[in-house]
Amino acid sequence: MAPKAPVQDFVAPPPGSYGLPPIQRVPEGLVLDIDGRRQAFSRFTTGRVTLLCFMYTYCVDPIGCPLAFETMTTLRRRLLENPERARQVRLVSLSFDPTNDDPAAMKRYAGALADPASPLRWHFLTTRSVTELKPLLDDLGQDVAVELDEHGRPTRVLNHTLKLFLIDARGRVREIYTSAFLLPEVMLNDIETLLLETADR
Amino acid sequence: MKKLPTPTALATSMLLALFATTPVAADETCNSPYLSTLIKGQEDFVHVWTLGVKGMGDESDKLVTVDVNPKSKDYGKVVHTLSVGGRGEAHHGGFTDDRRYLWAGRLDDNKIFVFDIGSNPGKPRLVRTIVDFADRTGFVGPHTFYALPGRMLVQGLSNTQDHGGRTGMAVYNNKGEFVAKYDMPTGAHNGVAADGYGYDIGINPQKNALLTSSFTGWNNYMMDFGKLVQDAEAMKRFGNTMVMWNLKAMKPEKVMSVPGSPLEIRWSLKAGDNWAITATALTSKLVLVKQDAAGEWQARAVADVGDPSTIPLPVDISITADAKGLWVNTFMDGKARYFDLTNPEAPVQTYEKVIGRQVNMVSQSWDGKRVYFTSSLLGNWDKRGADDEQFLKLYHWDGKALTEQFAIDFYKLNLGRAHHMKFSARTDTRASVEDAPRVASMRQ
Repeated sequence: MAPKAPVQDFVAPPPGSYGLPPIQRVPEGLVLDIDGRRQAFSRFTTGRVTLLCFMYTYCVDPIGCPLAFETMTTLRRRLLENPERARQVRLVSLSFDPTNDDPAAMKRYAGALADPASPLRWHFLTTRSVTELKPLLDDLGQDVAVELDEHGRPTRVLNHTLKLFLIDARGRVREIYTSAFLLPEVMLNDIETLLLETADR
Repeated sequence: MKKLPTPTALATSMLLALFATTPVAADETCNSPYLSTLIKGQEDFVHVWTLGVKGMGDESDKLVTVDVNPKSKDYGKVVHTLSVGGRGEAHHGGFTDDRRYLWAGRLDDNKIFVFDIGSNPGKPRLVRTIVDFADRTGFVGPHTFYALPGRMLVQGLSNTQDHGGRTGMAVYNNKGEFVAKYDMPTGAHNGVAADGYGYDIGINPQKNALLTSSFTGWNNYMMDFGKLVQDAEAMKRFGNTMVMWNLKAMKPEKVMSVPGSPLEIRWSLKAGDNWAITATALTSKLVLVKQDAAGEWQARAVADVGDPSTIPLPVDISITADAKGLWVNTFMDGKARYFDLTNPEAPVQTYEKVIGRQVNMVSQSWDGKRVYFTSSLLGNWDKRGADDEQFLKLYHWDGKALTEQFAIDFYKLNLGRAHHMKFSARTDTRASVEDAPRVASMRQ
């Protein structure tokens, strides 16, 4: 089933013509990169404008992770049209399921998208355990629950509100996109708006 | 977490879950379009934000939870009450985007209470009280709570300076931390005098459109109703405008003249539709807000509600999921009126029924078959004596008539004045990711 993208029936306000008030700080924590290195989460949420999404590799909900993935690949393609701009931005996918999605699984899932030589880095991260993941989810207000079948047994569905977090270079969440807000033109302008702030400083 | 197997037999349940959790735009037809989980089937509980009454029970404002699942042994009964302390003019509430938390406000003391509904919908818990609304914003009367992703947009009714109608909107993040404030526009806007008043919020994400309406300030909504209607000067201080905002930029784009205090806003939920509807309290009109051929938003009265000369006082409205019908309550005569909205340019009333001696809020299930009513408008505006009935009532709607299923007398149970309703559903089809290893082991 193809991801169902929302419709944009308006002209997006131009970059810098509006503000994005800081919503909250991104929490501290520890994550694993695709080579299994344990790193501070802040390494992936500061220093560049960051688009963060929680996901799991086997999600098939067309308005869940696949829609987020499609949106992020669209943004990646658009941002790479200007490599200098792309170097100021990063994409981050962080798994909901550290047991299934270990660094090797994330590496397989990422494929060439994790190319370290790309001007636009896309980091595919996981955590060592649910215990290390949960505080990040809770702090960012990202819900997730295991769907049970009629006998109370777990299915492979992780129910969650699809959220992408736009984070400024100082590690502050500046916009949150749920399904109805996943509009690449608007998101690009939001990214540009934050980059203009950085240029002004 | 234990790694879960990948049998193809799971595909069916995955698909079921997928469709069961698909977000679409609105409550149970009047929720924010950003709410992640709408209840498309049978709701289990109705939570009623209830005003405490002096000399009645514990006298406190409270969240009253009623079991409304007909398969439950407690069907039609109050199963939980949660008093928050004091009386501060409890009024409206709204869920966060993930539907886990219900924010509910008080118009007099400006307190905002955050209830955890998601953990155990039958037993809500108070997890946070936000007390800085007036200090942070200069606004008074947190009225509408409208979920945005990760945050809550709160519409004020008044201000700390003169307690009149000028006000604004505030944004809090879901932790209850203040994020930003936006004043309602004032001054001349293309020939329309913006009054700066506020009331309800409605968003159409596809259009980047945020629509607001306008009521009155603290001086009026806390005044005795009988005294208010005799005060000609006070009666002039009601909102006469609606404002279309650029949602992304949070900037007003057009101020529209809508005399008579336009209240609740309901967008058509049909994909591609470009209109919203409201009812004016003092002039008893249904007003359509729609884009014209040039794409400009226009507001236009399209129907009377009852006989406007008698001021029936339209209050809450509820649109059907297919946008073909609209419930309109009129407080003074206690009637629920159903309008055929097939042509939103010319709504036609096709049914009416007296619900009680006064009626304010109406909430319908997604399929429109169950319609709930409550009675309280404002503590000082509710009727007096025997006319001051306070209830939650459930009716079934078959498209032709309302049939009462149960009525709960909130005075008889010493609860107070029944105001805003929100639905919830049991969450026992889900387990936390922390419990997943234990849950997974049940498979073996």
